[in-house]
Amino acid sequence: MNAQTITQYYRKNRKAIVTASSGLLYGAGWSLGHFTGFNTASAGILILAAIIGGYDIAKTAYYEVTNRTLGIKTLVTLAAIGAIVIGEYWEAAAVVFLFSLGSYLEGRTMRKTRTALQELLEMTPDTATVRRDGDLQEVPAHDVEEGEVVLVKPGGKIPVDGTVVDGESAINQAPVTGESAPVHKAYGDEVYAGTVNQEGALEVRTTGAGSDTTLERIIRRVEKAQEAQSPTENLIDRFAKYYTPGVIVLAIGAYAVTQNAILSLTLLVIGCPGALVIGPPVSIVSAIGNAARSGVLMKGGEHLERSGKIDLVAFDKTGTLTKGETTVADVEGFGVADDEVLSLAATAEKKSEHHLADAIVDAARDRPTAATDGGAAVAHSDDANAERRSVPDPDDFDVVAGKGVVAHADGQELVVGNRALLDDRGIDVPAHVAEYVRNREERGETAVHVVRDGSVIGVIAMRDELREVAPGVVAALQDASIQTVMLTGDNERTAAAVAGEVGIDDYRAELLPEDKQTVIEEYQSDGHVVAMVGDGINDAPSLATADVGIAMGAAGTDTAIETADMALMADDLERIPYAVKLSKATRWNVLENVGLAVLTVTVLLAGVLTSYVTLAAGMLVHEASVLLVILNGMRLLRH
Amino acid sequence: MNETTQLRVMDFDCPTCASTVERALSNVNGVQNVEVHYTTGRVEIEYDDNVADPDAFAQAIENQGYTPQPA
Repeated sequence: MNAQTITQYYRKNRKAIVTASSGLLYGAGWSLGHFTGFNTASAGILILAAIIGGYDIAKTAYYEVTNRTLGIKTLVTLAAIGAIVIGEYWEAAAVVFLFSLGSYLEGRTMRKTRTALQELLEMTPDTATVRRDGDLQEVPAHDVEEGEVVLVKPGGKIPVDGTVVDGESAINQAPVTGESAPVHKAYGDEVYAGTVNQEGALEVRTTGAGSDTTLERIIRRVEKAQEAQSPTENLIDRFAKYYTPGVIVLAIGAYAVTQNAILSLTLLVIGCPGALVIGPPVSIVSAIGNAARSGVLMKGGEHLERSGKIDLVAFDKTGTLTKGETTVADVEGFGVADDEVLSLAATAEKKSEHHLADAIVDAARDRPTAATDGGAAVAHSDDANAERRSVPDPDDFDVVAGKGVVAHADGQELVVGNRALLDDRGIDVPAHVAEYVRNREERGETAVHVVRDGSVIGVIAMRDELREVAPGVVAALQDASIQTVMLTGDNERTAAAVAGEVGIDDYRAELLPEDKQTVIEEYQSDGHVVAMVGDGINDAPSLATADVGIAMGAAGTDTAIETADMALMADDLERIPYAVKLSKATRWNVLENVGLAVLTVTVLLAGVLTSYVTLAAGMLVHEASVLLVILNGMRLLRH
Repeated sequence: MNETTQLRVMDFDCPTCASTVERALSNVNGVQNVEVHYTTGRVEIEYDDNVADPDAFAQAIENQGYTPQPA
């Protein structure tokens, strides 16, 4: 072993070596005094133990004092110097050794919390294999340019964000989205840096590399989340600023009154707010780290603490409880062929960007070229190669928000919309049409009327499949005593049918986007702490109004990552009960830690004032309480 | 020109250690702004690259008894 190795070993294990040396000297000094009566030698060894163990503590205390951030090290240094001055060498060595041991153990435990976050940072590979000038070159991942093609071998981590241009494979996206099941990716699909290619080789055209990847954005957000302190952390920070000087004043006051230096020094040591200051941030960082690894991005302690109080979750319907893929379930012509109804509706809706319009236009394009007769359901072409039909443009087109569209084509006026639009325009709806619409809506479908020149010629019924997990998610929230509400623009009957299928407590139908915001405000004024779950962009006003806005499918969408209080990286509803339960557990964990810290100081204080607690015992209990709150906070890493 | 660099310190053993390191880094010539996060161990340093020597940052942290690592 050469000098350099020894130096390196010492640097790496300095804290352990210092603590052990201080402990051994403390043991030797105490034994010498106790068993042989060599008091001078014993005192010398105990002072040496205090100096060796206390050097780093005193150095930091110096910085604390010059920095005006009085902390426990200042108090311990004062206590140790004071004990030496009054000849209590044993107490001085004991306090320093116990504090040093506690700090060492605390540092080791804390490192585990930090490592959990560090794991996130280490998910992206450092290098990428890029195709440049026809050759494959190994380059640093952050040097890959947008548009370059990267080769990812089976079993390898994907080094960039991009689009698959060749090959297909199963990708484990857990690092980014938290999904445990691999996702199949083929030509044109998006892949994320840090995810794992499990099966075949892939060629990926880069859309983002280095710091411009989804994973990097998540990491930056998680790091930033530490800065957004929770109200409890803020309160404790403010409190600690005045508390530590207060303890010093109390110790001086106690000495002035009792002339008991030991009592005064013990007050200094046990009065430290260590557990109180460390407890809440450890809980919150552990929870944020756990959530990030599960594909849930928490935007900081403040949101996390507020999420712990949620008692009502409002779900947007389309794209949240449902898959958001509306398809035409049935076309019914009244005196007109179904095909003609669909064609006319598609012409009227062609320029609309509404998801119902997309479904109608898609259905019209995909219908077989041979027209079906009246009364038949939507037929499907057997010929997969059949050409898609073209849909003609309307001559003009107007959207009536929340109601439908009015268009003109070939000299005909076309109205496609709900009953309210027809009522507004004085269009009569025959009883058999109304009956048909009612039947479809009671199945949870959305039915729109198709009107030509003032007469209803047909109805198109559309369905947006529920996510299979939606009923389970709602039940899990209800089990946790959280009320659930569905907000939708659909009419009453459709909303009632969907709410019934999902098992949700309540629903609000026929809402425009701004109405959803009003509904949330109503619940808030009734005293509820409301979380709103939506897709992050369309539901922006209600997500912002809710106490906690939860955006779904945020991977790849900067807006959702930036605006929501909580973002689910995947479109995975099942993360919601997990996130809400984690927030509640965090809130309790913070309260437990604060309670434990306050209780420890109170009991020790009572013990000191009644002379039951000595300086060394006070330090031991104090350090134990710090370790306990850290371990308690770390439980959230595995919640 | 102002540059920003990050380091990580995994062996902080108390919140005031973070303040101590923050203070030590603030005293390094050319450092404009320092943020030290106790709970994550992240250290962010903004400095004037005409004046400051980035090697001095790690040294300043080591002088306080802590071990800097690349972020």
